[in-house]
Amino acid sequence: MNPAKSYAHLFSPLGGEGGENYRAPGQLTFLRAPHVPLETDALKAHGARYAFVGVPFDEGNVGKPGSEDGPREFRIASQEYLSYWFEFGVDLDGLAVDCGDVPMPKVNPDSARDRIYRAVTTVLKAGVTPIVVGGDRSISIQAARALSDHIGADKKMGCLHFGAHLDLAESWAGEKLLSTCALARITELPNLPAANVAHIGARNSMNPKDYIDLAKARNLRFYPMFEIYERGIDAVVKEAVAKVFDGSDAQYLSFNFNVMDASAAPGVTATEPGGLESREMIRVADVIGERKTVSVIDVTELAPVYDVSGTTSRLAVCTVLRLMAAMARARGELVDPEIRRSDLVAAE
Amino acid sequence: MSADTHTAWRHVPHQHQGPHQHTGADDHIYSPKLHNGTFKSQGIATFLGAPYCPPDRHAIREMGAKVCFIGVPWDQGQVVRAGTSQGAAGIREASTQYFPYMFEYDVDLLSFFRLVDCGDIPIVPGNNDKSHDYIYHYLTECLHGGAKVVLCGGDHSVPIPGARALSDFHKEGRIGYLHVDCHLDAAPDWAGNAFTNCSGPSRALDLPNCDARNLIHMGSRNGLNPKDWHDFFVDNDVRLIPMYEVARRGVVDCTKEIFTRAWDGTDGVYFSWDTDSIDSSCMPGTTAPECFGLKGREIIQLARTAGTFGADIMEVSELCPQFDVSHISIKTAALMIMHFLGSRAKTLRDQGRTP
Repeated sequence: MNPAKSYAHLFSPLGGEGGENYRAPGQLTFLRAPHVPLETDALKAHGARYAFVGVPFDEGNVGKPGSEDGPREFRIASQEYLSYWFEFGVDLDGLAVDCGDVPMPKVNPDSARDRIYRAVTTVLKAGVTPIVVGGDRSISIQAARALSDHIGADKKMGCLHFGAHLDLAESWAGEKLLSTCALARITELPNLPAANVAHIGARNSMNPKDYIDLAKARNLRFYPMFEIYERGIDAVVKEAVAKVFDGSDAQYLSFNFNVMDASAAPGVTATEPGGLESREMIRVADVIGERKTVSVIDVTELAPVYDVSGTTSRLAVCTVLRLMAAMARARGELVDPEIRRSDLVAAE
Repeated sequence: MSADTHTAWRHVPHQHQGPHQHTGADDHIYSPKLHNGTFKSQGIATFLGAPYCPPDRHAIREMGAKVCFIGVPWDQGQVVRAGTSQGAAGIREASTQYFPYMFEYDVDLLSFFRLVDCGDIPIVPGNNDKSHDYIYHYLTECLHGGAKVVLCGGDHSVPIPGARALSDFHKEGRIGYLHVDCHLDAAPDWAGNAFTNCSGPSRALDLPNCDARNLIHMGSRNGLNPKDWHDFFVDNDVRLIPMYEVARRGVVDCTKEIFTRAWDGTDGVYFSWDTDSIDSSCMPGTTAPECFGLKGREIIQLARTAGTFGADIMEVSELCPQFDVSHISIKTAALMIMHFLGSRAKTLRDQGRTP
C-alpha cells in the first residue's frame, strides 16, 4: 500500500460531507456559470445575485420516483439558452453562479434534509438568492425553513406555490416531512402569515379531503385550475402575487412543474391533465418579475426518465430564466440598446 | 367505509385486512395514517380501488352498485394500429395515482355511487361478432342490475354492441347516442364488414329507438374521414359539430348542445368518447393520434359539463398504453371518467337526488 495514494475509490463510500455520491456530475453548470463552492464567504466574494443549488433527493416522494435526476437535466437544458433575452433587453450573464449539488446520502433522509437546510442557509447568509432545483417537493420544507430562520422572527415571509397538488397532509402514513406534507409544514413556520400564502393550480384527485380541510382550517387561499379557467391566468396570478408580496419582507417562490398540463410537462413525477399551458407560465414569470426580487426560487418534481424529448426540463429552465430576465428588466438593468456587433469588430 | 346499511356494498381492499390495518370508516379519502395501502400499494387492480362485483344483475343489485366500471380488452374490431385491448388495464393502473375523493366536487366517488369494478368482458380472439355478443350480454347485466356503466375499451367498435344493449334495455322508450371522436365513423361498412370501429353512428341509427335528432357527433377533423362518412350526416340530417366549431364556440357550449339534443325526449343516453378526440399532445397513447383536438382543460371541461347531464353508459375507447411513454394518456383517460362522475355526483346532490 502506497501511503501517498488514495484508495477510497476502490470501496463503498466511506461517508462524510462530500464525495459519497458517485453519480455527482462534474463541471456541468447552470447557464455555463462559474462554479463557486457552497460557502458563504466564497459567494459573498463573487457577488452574484443567484446561486444554483441542485438537490438530487427523491426520498420524500409517495408516488412515481425519478426526480433525483432533475438537477442534472435542468443544467443540461440550461445550456441550450444564451444569456441575452431580447424580449426583456437584458443580459443574464454574471447574474448566477452554480454551487453544484448538495451531496445526498442515500437512505438517510434525516441527514439529507439537514444538508438541504444548511445549504440554503449558506446561500442566504451571503445575501444571494438560491435557485434550488430538486428533487421532490419535500425539499421545499427545508428550504422554506431556512428562509424563515434566516430572516428571523421580526420579519414576515410570503410563499407562492405552483402545483397540481396542495400537499397539505398533516401527516402521511405517520411521516411528516414527505412531499405530500410540504405546504402543511411550510404554513407552520412562525413568521409566515396565512394572508401571505397563495397556491395556484390545484386540480384532480391527488388532493384528498384532509388537504382541503387543512386549507380551510388554516385559512389558506388556493386558486384551483377551475378558477383559472374562469378568470384567466393574468387576473389570478396578479391577485396571488399581491397577496404574497404585499406586506412581506421575504418571498419564497416554489414551482412544482406538475402545475403544467400533462401535455406541456410529460417529464414530471405526477403528470396532471388540465393544467397551465406554456404561454400561461410565461405570463406568470412576467407578472412575478415586476416585483424585481425574490428570496428563494425552487423547482421540483422534474422526472427526466419520462421526459422523452427533453421538453419539460427545457420549459422549467425557460421559466426560471424568463423570471430572472423580467426581474432584471424591472430593476432597470438593461443592455445598452445602441451596442452593435459591428462595434465589436471595429474594436478589434 | 361510509355508513351504508341497506346494501351489501363494501369497500375493503385486501391490504386493509392484513396485520397492519387501516380501520377508520373513511380512511380511503384521507392521507394515509399507517402506510400506502390506501394509495400506492395495490391489492387486486380495480378502478380507483373499487370493490370487485361479478358482472351479474343479481350481484350488482345485491351490492347496490349504481356505477359499474367494466373493461373490454378488444382491439380486433378496428382498422388502425393495435394496442387498445390494454386500455382498461391502463386506466386501472392510472387510477392508483388518485384518490376517489374529488375536491372540485367535494365528493367521494366510491361511496356516492357505490362504485364497483366488474372486471373485463371476455372476448373471443379473431371473432368480432362473438366478442360483440359478449359485450352486449355483459352490459345488459349491468343495466338490469340497476347501475350506470363506465365502459372502457377496447377499440371503437364497442359502441355498436354497447348502444344495442342500451336500446334493448329501453325497448319501450327512446335513446340518444353521442359520438365524440376525431373521426366521423359513419361507414355503411368497411370492406364489407358493418361492425368495425368505422361504423358506430351508422349502427346507432339502425337501432329501432334511436332517432337522427338524438344522434350527434362532435370533434371531427383531419383527413381520415372518407366522403361516405360525411355523407351519412348530411343525408340523414344528423347534427355534426366539427372541431372547427368546438374551437370557435368553446367546448362547454358545444357539450351542452350535444347532451341537450341527446336527452331531448329520450329515456337513456349512450355517450361514446373516443380518446382520439383529444389533441395528440395530450393523448399520444391512442389508436389514431390526431392534431387539432381537445386540449387538457377542454377535456376536463367536457367531462365536467357532461356530468351535469349524465348518461346511462359512458364509454372511453381507443386508449393504447404502449404508446403512452410518459403515462399522460392513461391519467387523462382516468380523469375523463372521474370528472364525469364527480360532476354527476355534485349535480345529483345539488338536485337532492341519489344515483
